[in-house]
Amino acid sequence: MENVLEFKGVSKRFKDFSVENINLQIKQGYVTGFIGANGAGKSTTMKLMMNLLRADAGKIKVFGLDYAKHEKKIKERLGFVYDSNVFYEGLNLKDVRRIIAPAYKNWSNKQFYEFIEKFELPLNKAIKTFSKGMQMKASLAIALSHDAELILMDEPTAGLDPVFRRELLDILQEIMEEGKRTLFFSTHITSDLNRIADYIAFIQKGKVLFNDPIYEVQERYALVKGSKDLINRDTEKSFIKVEHSSTGFQALTDDIDKVKELFGDSVVIDEASLEDIMFYVKGASH
Amino acid sequence: MFNLIKKDLIILKVQLLLFIPFIVFFAVFATHLSPAFIFLLASIFIPINAYIYDEQAETNILLNSLPYTRQEIVAARYIGAIAYMILSIGVAGIILYLCNYGYTIRDIVIAVGLFFVFSALSFPLFYILKPGYIGLAVFVSFIVLAVVLPPIVQFLAENLTTITNFLTNLSAFTLYLSGATIAIGLYLLSWIFSRTIYLRKDF
Repeated sequence: MENVLEFKGVSKRFKDFSVENINLQIKQGYVTGFIGANGAGKSTTMKLMMNLLRADAGKIKVFGLDYAKHEKKIKERLGFVYDSNVFYEGLNLKDVRRIIAPAYKNWSNKQFYEFIEKFELPLNKAIKTFSKGMQMKASLAIALSHDAELILMDEPTAGLDPVFRRELLDILQEIMEEGKRTLFFSTHITSDLNRIADYIAFIQKGKVLFNDPIYEVQERYALVKGSKDLINRDTEKSFIKVEHSSTGFQALTDDIDKVKELFGDSVVIDEASLEDIMFYVKGASH
Repeated sequence: MFNLIKKDLIILKVQLLLFIPFIVFFAVFATHLSPAFIFLLASIFIPINAYIYDEQAETNILLNSLPYTRQEIVAARYIGAIAYMILSIGVAGIILYLCNYGYTIRDIVIAVGLFFVFSALSFPLFYILKPGYIGLAVFVSFIVLAVVLPPIVQFLAENLTTITNFLTNLSAFTLYLSGATIAIGLYLLSWIFSRTIYLRKDF
């Protein structure tokens, strides 16, 4: 399986925040969901991928190419959807097309107008009158019109209403069907990922904790519930984080076998959702 | 690169409509102004407006996400500015001629020289300063320069006879040639400087 994007020991430091030693691979032909709390480093990582930020250390390769030598070649094949509007607000889509289309060698006007029609976007209205959802669709239409092989999306579903979120996920599923495209998108709405993601990359405080197939993640973690008296300093060690309540405890583990051995039938072991994983890992001490 | 230069015409559609009335206004009402000043205003109209427009939007993120290199983005600015300067001076020349506003080639030459100096000094600001303040800073400094510079030059001319003697002893040709060399030299230095900053920038 080939990686379309590779981070090797990438670090970027700011005054009050840094991402450290990031190792990450994005597999070709799959959807990778990039999750993490607000401020965990998702946007910084995405900007490093787009070469909007320069890494202080480490290597970034996109399509096996280096930004230092092949910036244009890489960006010809990259599509981007940002969480804020980066197009000229005062312009309409027609003018935005006139600015963007000539930048790409393999731009297709035919495809562009097909997607505009499909997404029901107005051509003559200023972008600033667009809703968040329409802006997402416009970005996506542009990415698809130059036939981007890898599409990076920063929080595409944030701020969308549930109906539109579903519609967007349907569209994403559809564009993945041909099998040659790769999608990488960051989100903190993890329920989106159950539907479409093949891989999950999880970032926490500037570090990538895991980047694995979604089914493996779901098999590895479990939510354990039981009564209070089962928890002591020793048994606590088999959990990532324990939440206490007046009657019992609830905890996340990544060692299901050990929990079974330790507690047997005295606890309830449930599947952990991505949200559970995010929540418990965030508060974890180790 | 040509596309990046052409982009300014698309984003400045509205401002371009104002360009002609802007020049006509000066031609009709500002009859005491030096024609060189009007040519200078005309020449920097598009480049400065493009910078101001671009810094309001998240243009840097957009342009750097498209298949352009940072060198090209800065080069498009500096080359585009010269192209628009030439075009604008041509248009302004026609308007002034039609309005019977007398001018000579000398006025144009002085305006072009000042264009290079002014651009060389102001363009890097857009790469150094925070967005939002630059347009204002450029506008204010331009007015201040326009008001303060002539008296200073006059003062120097009256009091520093050695300098004036030296300058008057030069032939017109050497004078223009050295003026042009300095102006264009400044412009090129400014370009290198802006490029160096832009290459290191984080967006």
